[in-house]
Amino acid sequence: MTGLSSTYAIVAKDIKSELRLRYAVNALVMFIVTSVATILFALRFDRPSPALYAGMFWVVVFFTGMSGLSRIFVSEEERGTTLTLRLVSAPSPVYFGKLLFNCCLTLFLSASVTILYLLAFPGFVIQSYDIFLSTVVLGSLGFASAVTILAAIIARAQTRGTLFPVLSFPILIPLLMTVMDATDRALQGDELAEAFGDLRVLIGYIMVMVAGSYLLFDYVWSD
Amino acid sequence: MRIVKAAAVTLITFVLVAGIATPMTNAPGSWAEFPVIRGLEQNARNIFFHVPVAWTTVVAFLVSTYYGMRYLRSKNVDDDIKSVSSAGIGFIFCILATVTGALWARFNWGSYWNWDPRQTSIFVLLLIYGAYFALRSAIESEELKARLSAVYSIVAGLTVPFFIFVLPRMLTGLHPGAKADVEGNGPVLEFKMAPNMLIVFFISLLAFNLLYVWMLDLRVRVGRLEYEQSLH
Amino acid sequence: MIEFLRSNQMYIVLVIVLIVWGGIVFYLVLLENKIKRLEKSMKRN
Repeated sequence: MTGLSSTYAIVAKDIKSELRLRYAVNALVMFIVTSVATILFALRFDRPSPALYAGMFWVVVFFTGMSGLSRIFVSEEERGTTLTLRLVSAPSPVYFGKLLFNCCLTLFLSASVTILYLLAFPGFVIQSYDIFLSTVVLGSLGFASAVTILAAIIARAQTRGTLFPVLSFPILIPLLMTVMDATDRALQGDELAEAFGDLRVLIGYIMVMVAGSYLLFDYVWSD
Repeated sequence: MRIVKAAAVTLITFVLVAGIATPMTNAPGSWAEFPVIRGLEQNARNIFFHVPVAWTTVVAFLVSTYYGMRYLRSKNVDDDIKSVSSAGIGFIFCILATVTGALWARFNWGSYWNWDPRQTSIFVLLLIYGAYFALRSAIESEELKARLSAVYSIVAGLTVPFFIFVLPRMLTGLHPGAKADVEGNGPVLEFKMAPNMLIVFFISLLAFNLLYVWMLDLRVRVGRLEYEQSLH
Repeated sequence: MIEFLRSNQMYIVLVIVLIVWGGIVFYLVLLENKIKRLEKSMKRN
């Protein structure tokens, strides 16, 4: 199989099995709903500041991602299909396929959080749509790009559950700080030009993570 | 190697004496007196110890990542031994740097933790070290352990440039030289330290690095012995 | 000597620090010798 068709095949396979079983998607949505509900109970009628809303938004995204995103590789291990995948295609299509699938998952995740937040918190008012949209999209892509290689690493380790957040948090800190700052600006109604610094950092983060992961993936994947 | 060890011991002893015992006056007359820096006074002596330790932990991390990369290419166990050993020492130095930094912060800036960019980044380095060892302990096979931890330290190394450039923009800094994004030399020169203080400082920097080299050598030799034993 | 130390408190710090440092150096030298011994016995085998 050529590289591009392999990649497409892997993404298609994952999306199809996801649509059939809805395992990961259900888990993500349930986690988001429970997190938002918990925050609602804690806040009641209080209205936090925009900075706090921004922080809460990405905290929920982060922890939901931690609970759900490692599945892209762990599910292969659980189903015993890792060996097949290794035989059938070269490492790069596997990486890009999983990365694209992960991007779909994270975009879905952050879209769900956005919708729930808009419904649940009357104080969560997006004043600059352009900043918010670009931040959420770039932030989700950055999240996916960093998390894919880490998920591949922990899929080969023993205690997978708790290891994933421990490994991911330091790597994601630059992303989280930038994205929280940008979301704060979006909620406060800054101009798009003012957020350019943050957005540039996000784009740089995505490029660095994807390039590094692509070069390193083979060492993690193949024996 | 013997020179390194002897030099490390003598130089650190010298720095300890010079750093702690030299009197501070407002108008230093001779080379045996330090000027008083406003806002710091006696606390300035911390520079001789806190900054070199923080510097050494970063060096240890870079060395660990370097040997990790070499391991990926060579698959030679010795490279992995060097990588882990450096990470272990770096971890200890990182704890020391964070703790000494927090203590100094308490007496100079009012509280132990201030979300200053440098404080936050040394804490993140601590998290990276912790994650590195957590990953290693979660893998049984030696070869897999070495490979995956090398990959992780490289991925973590990729985020380091972001900390140097991103954090100072995000957080208002209390550390001297926070606007500048140069490691190490920035705060030192911003202080405009007197020449005799600068000399003691650079000797301290060298001395702690030499101490690190000695500790690394010891750990690597122990690692090699353990590996030989495991083969029999 | 006690009077001297009580008036210039910085020197108390210095003495304590030098004692701690001396202990560390002693431990490092101990390790060094132990490792040398182990390496020799490994080589013999």
